[in-house]
Amino acid sequence: MPLLKDEDQKYLRAEFARKLTGPVKIVFFTQAQDCMFCQPTEQIIRELLPLSDKLSLETHAFAPGSEEATRYGIDKIPAIVLVGAKDYGVRFYGIPAGFEFSTLVADIIDVSRGETSFSPEARDKVRAIAKPVDIQVFVSPTCPYCPPAVRLAHMAAIENGLVTAAMVESTEFPHLAHQYNVAGVPRTIFNGTVSLEGAAPEALFIEKLLEAAR
Amino acid sequence: MPDIPTFDIAIIGGGPAGLTAGLYAGRGGLRAAVVEKLMPGGLVANTERIDNYPGFPEGISGYDLAQRMQAQAAKFGAQFVSDEAAAIAIEPKSFLVRLSSKAQLRAKALVIASGAYPRTLGVPGEKELLGKGVSYCAVCDGAFFKNQDVAVVGGGDSAVQEAVYLAGLCSTVTVVHRRSSLRAAESLQRVAFRNGKISFSWNRTVVAIEGGTQVEGLRVMDKETMKEEVLPVSGVFIYVGYHPNSAVVKDLVQLDENGYIVTDENLMTSAPGIFAAGDVRRKLVRQISGAVGDAATAAVAAQQYIENL
Ligand SMILES: Cc1cc2nc3c(=O)[nH]c(=O)nc-3n(C[C@H](O)[C@H](O)[C@H](O)COP(=O)(O)OP(=O)(O)OC[C@H]3O[C@@H](n4cnc5c(N)ncnc54)[C@H](O)[C@@H]3O)c2cc1C
Repeated sequence: MPLLKDEDQKYLRAEFARKLTGPVKIVFFTQAQDCMFCQPTEQIIRELLPLSDKLSLETHAFAPGSEEATRYGIDKIPAIVLVGAKDYGVRFYGIPAGFEFSTLVADIIDVSRGETSFSPEARDKVRAIAKPVDIQVFVSPTCPYCPPAVRLAHMAAIENGLVTAAMVESTEFPHLAHQYNVAGVPRTIFNGTVSLEGAAPEALFIEKLLEAAR
Repeated sequence: MPDIPTFDIAIIGGGPAGLTAGLYAGRGGLRAAVVEKLMPGGLVANTERIDNYPGFPEGISGYDLAQRMQAQAAKFGAQFVSDEAAAIAIEPKSFLVRLSSKAQLRAKALVIASGAYPRTLGVPGEKELLGKGVSYCAVCDGAFFKNQDVAVVGGGDSAVQEAVYLAGLCSTVTVVHRRSSLRAAESLQRVAFRNGKISFSWNRTVVAIEGGTQVEGLRVMDKETMKEEVLPVSGVFIYVGYHPNSAVVKDLVQLDENGYIVTDENLMTSAPGIFAAGDVRRKLVRQISGAVGDAATAAVAAQQYIENL
């Protein structure tokens, strides 16, 4: 059964036609067995692909430490990397379903254009960051407050090459949720240390990001 | 400075009220913008199951209902603006809405459909343990408490409904309520009373939420004996009412003592051209069906207002 209804497909096709400027390669790391959410994640990607000729797919069977996994820094699956004019450091670990589907779509558009909807002040601050920051945003697919948190993180990655950002679907990676003591989403973790609770406005997100970059 | 996009109606908030206002305005041939800071759907999107919205005798998930409402508004041409209305200025025959991203938009009439946000208990531990066992959204965070013991604070529809949802995931759910009976609808109460995993702690007020890095217990006080006890739970879900999201219009329209927007029978506020619909408005019942009904009235009244400008 297709996930995207006819009218959703029509809407997305029009949206992509209007907004995508450059090509976006979806790099997908998967595994045939022992990965409950790999197949459903692949289905989501496969249904998106035909909606724009700017989209392409590159699938890799996941092997820890393999050349591709190392190149993209992938250590768990299912994993999605969105590559536009370059690899901006935008990652999804776990299925981008439910509310996170909208995040995936918005990210594809930003990566294609190589630009984000940050306010000019926020953008300047993000671009000025001179130290690497890795952001993990813990979510659940049923969390309506989570997409804005993931979007802010991914937008920061797009604006600054030193910033990488990942959505982490908490229920698929309980060990990580446990490691960071996550019992509520969204939770944004910067460089494994600085933490931000809930769906924060842009200004607060930037403040925490700069704190981690100090 | 690029041209400021101009609409007939700007609708602030994309919950059931905002989406319905968008639908009616769009169908009425108006250029309508729905400004939503989070996700379209509002509070409905964080509700597991809705059993009292007419037309869905089997019930419908909040997420599904929200998506359908959004699709219907989009179908009639409502435009979605993913941003927060930060300030509103009244101009001659129009309104200027400043958004958090610093973008602006202009409209001849406004429908305020910004809903309400969950009230906090204001007890020690609540802020500190947010996301570490304290939650206001069972569908978001319930999965973290699989096979654990949790408490739900409150006695209204939302509290009881979410207790039933959590009982499907957790080992036990204790509903802590400051009175000796629930305010929730009879049918909900019956479902909860029949559920073997749900128990009730009556006449208790919450004193504190305890724990270090995680919630370890909920300290409650018996209102009659004044005795305190600690319920050993790892999650506390709080449903104790709402505050209206009316800050953006607080200096422009009349609010009641609790901050809800006061309207006339056509849902116009004290400021001509500004209408209000849904939970943000002063009224007795705050439900989806009411929000949707409000929005139909507000959108049509706004259209008449524009035609008479
Ligand atoms: C757990 C729970 C269970 C419920 N169960 C039921 C049920 O079974 N049946 C039922 O009928 N009702 C139920 N309700 C009540 C129902 O959800 C509300 O009555 C309904 O959502 C009100 O709709 P609304 O559009 O007025 O406001 P909301 O749904 O609150 O939507 C308001 C929207 O406005 C946005 N917003 C606020 N301020 C701004 C701003 N400045 N700029 C941009 N956007 C803004 C918010 O992000 C939000 O999305 C339940 C509520 C909860 C919390």
